[in-house]
Amino acid sequence: MHPVANVAASSIDAAVSVAGLWKRYGATEAVRGISFEVAPGEIFGLLGPNGAGKTTTLECILGLRLPDSGSIRINGLDIKASRAKRLIGAQLQAAALQDKITPRQALELFGSFYPQSFGAEELLLRFDIESKADAAFATLSGGQKQRLFLALAVINRPAVLVLDEPGAGLDPQARRTIHSLIREVAAEGRTVLLSTHDLEEAHRLCGRLGIMDSGRLVAVASPAELIERSQATTRVTVRTAPPLASSAVGTLPEVTGARFDESGWVLETRAANHVLADLVRRVDEAGAQLLDLELRRPSLEDVFIELTGRPWPVDDARGGAA
Amino acid sequence: MSTLPEWKGWVRHFLLTIGLNFSNPQAIVYGYLVPVFFLVAFGSVFRSDTPPLLSRMGQILTITILGGACFGLPTALVAERERGIWRRYRLLPISISWLVLSAMIARLLIVASAVLIQIALARAVYGTPLPARPGAAALAFLFVTGAFLGMGLLIAALADNVPAVQALGQCIFLPMILIGGVGVPLEVLPAWAQRVAGFMPGRYAVEVLQPCFDARQGIRGTGFRLGALAVIGLAAGISGTKLFRWEAGQRIGRPARWWVAAGLASWGMVGLVAWRTGKLQPVPADARAWNTITEAQMGQIGFDGLPADNDFIAALAPSHSDPERTKVLAGKLAVWPPGQLDDSGQSIRNLVCVAAVADLSEDPREAEIARLVYQQIRRGFVPAVARQALAWIILGPEDGQALTKAPELGLFRHPPERLVRQRSVVYAKKYLGRALGKIPE
Repeated sequence: MHPVANVAASSIDAAVSVAGLWKRYGATEAVRGISFEVAPGEIFGLLGPNGAGKTTTLECILGLRLPDSGSIRINGLDIKASRAKRLIGAQLQAAALQDKITPRQALELFGSFYPQSFGAEELLLRFDIESKADAAFATLSGGQKQRLFLALAVINRPAVLVLDEPGAGLDPQARRTIHSLIREVAAEGRTVLLSTHDLEEAHRLCGRLGIMDSGRLVAVASPAELIERSQATTRVTVRTAPPLASSAVGTLPEVTGARFDESGWVLETRAANHVLADLVRRVDEAGAQLLDLELRRPSLEDVFIELTGRPWPVDDARGGAA
Repeated sequence: MSTLPEWKGWVRHFLLTIGLNFSNPQAIVYGYLVPVFFLVAFGSVFRSDTPPLLSRMGQILTITILGGACFGLPTALVAERERGIWRRYRLLPISISWLVLSAMIARLLIVASAVLIQIALARAVYGTPLPARPGAAALAFLFVTGAFLGMGLLIAALADNVPAVQALGQCIFLPMILIGGVGVPLEVLPAWAQRVAGFMPGRYAVEVLQPCFDARQGIRGTGFRLGALAVIGLAAGISGTKLFRWEAGQRIGRPARWWVAAGLASWGMVGLVAWRTGKLQPVPADARAWNTITEAQMGQIGFDGLPADNDFIAALAPSHSDPERTKVLAGKLAVWPPGQLDDSGQSIRNLVCVAAVADLSEDPREAEIARLVYQQIRRGFVPAVARQALAWIILGPEDGQALTKAPELGLFRHPPERLVRQRSVVYAKKYLGRALGKIPE
């Protein structure tokens, strides 16, 4: 697969348009000339390990960081224009509120700065925090806090919603709830731009993904397209008693690689249907008993490995910022 | 701010800041209970003062303001920065400086409430009189709190975390409490410490708040001190604004040291000006005793047996004697720094000493000088203050400081202090007798 080139962005219709964005911290180049566009109503994810430059990119889009070069436009407006700021809603990573502030107070405070905003009651209900409306922020659970931050992010009825690691630190159920709310927000026609280092979150939530590594955007496409375009193979693992002979496995057509380890025979192929049919026949012919058969399609992790030549960092199962 | 929603948001942030302060137990302890502890401590130490605590209210209120502005404000700002709250505020369509201003004004009101509680408690528990000049007290409070809030903002900008706020705050708080005239009274400090205190804003804070409890004085004559507080507060506030960090972990660049230097330079500059203009004269231990002289005490002073004005001792030229050649001396006397101290009692004592030194030195102009001193006292001081100070010289001849020479006025001889004090009593009687109408002019 060819790494997707940085998109030369300047489409008038793009909700978010980033072109040639560079950001350095001293000698460190956090973002290295990336370009991409996000269409209105799209959920676009920046996927990458910690330190890839995702958060820095989002912070430049939000106006929290001044890019060294490049341009950022929101609905065609330069991000430096004060009107552009009103078009964006954001949920930041590692954000918090005062311990004693209540969700209702927080929503009323943040909403009061905008001419067009949702009412606090409406958001409390919609984001399922009305039972904690008057409880201190410190007493909220992680999921409730994240739902409150999402409510704060949409309070100004933004055209573009920027979410930095929205599912980080949440248990699976809370994460599913947040994902569902994000889909709802996008269904209203709002554009969602999020960052994540969670491969599953990226796959399930995002219509398109930009894979970032070391400050560069190495690919942009839908998760399915990324996997489809990948050179990565499907892996078939088969365990029989007795184990199949190497002559039986090695002669299977369309198998590009085979090895035997403690889990059994591991076969690499790009034609899983044919290989499976042939494999079952060979097991039958050998009079062996089929103990285990596992099929693993290529994943975003494989795509990342293929694009960067590096494995997906194991410790990125935890949160982190770029 | 240019739009109505931004104003509405600003007001809501302001009110919320106040509300959250009152829901924070730590803020209540440091903002209200600790000042009460100081009030009780002062009440115990100075329980014999009459009226109780009246002459210590400037110190007590300064401690309250100092705590609220130099600890309360930066602790709140830095804690919110560490939690990422100011980072979130940055996304709002309003300049972050407006929200910092909102937090500072909210803090001003919080400190004001603590100060009012102190005054009310002092009144209720110790019977301390209320400020005699409420308007002057409000103005003095604004200057003092403004200066300390500026310093608080600079501390917030410099401190990386809340423990650093405590450390930096103590660096300012403790010296002012111990040798800055805020905790330990200025008059019991050694002369060098009193001079050092002139380089700290705490001394000026006490000296503008304290007179507001005195019906006669108010903030009249505290112009330099108000100016000093304004300079120190502005320098710190501007430096704090330039260095303000909205994000935890944000580094302060190298230029920061220049802004910090500018903030501290204002202390040095104010102190130097005070020193060079004679405003850092040592304050004697009982310098304020003249304030407590009552009309009844004055009534007990006798004026019999005084030497005649044309006598060899304590000569005093007649009122019509104002020859041309004394005009130059009169001009010098009018701007003579020891006669222009903020402490009116000591200023008048210094002037009377001039007459005494001239007389003891057998200066050819002794009688004229004595007359000019009397005229200067009448011209330069409120009559009630002048009467109290003269009575103080008579009733407490050993109180305060006694000048024994005045080379600026051409009096180079150095008579013994004991004699100067004795002769000062004679002149003070002659002056007071005239002021009370008991001796004809």
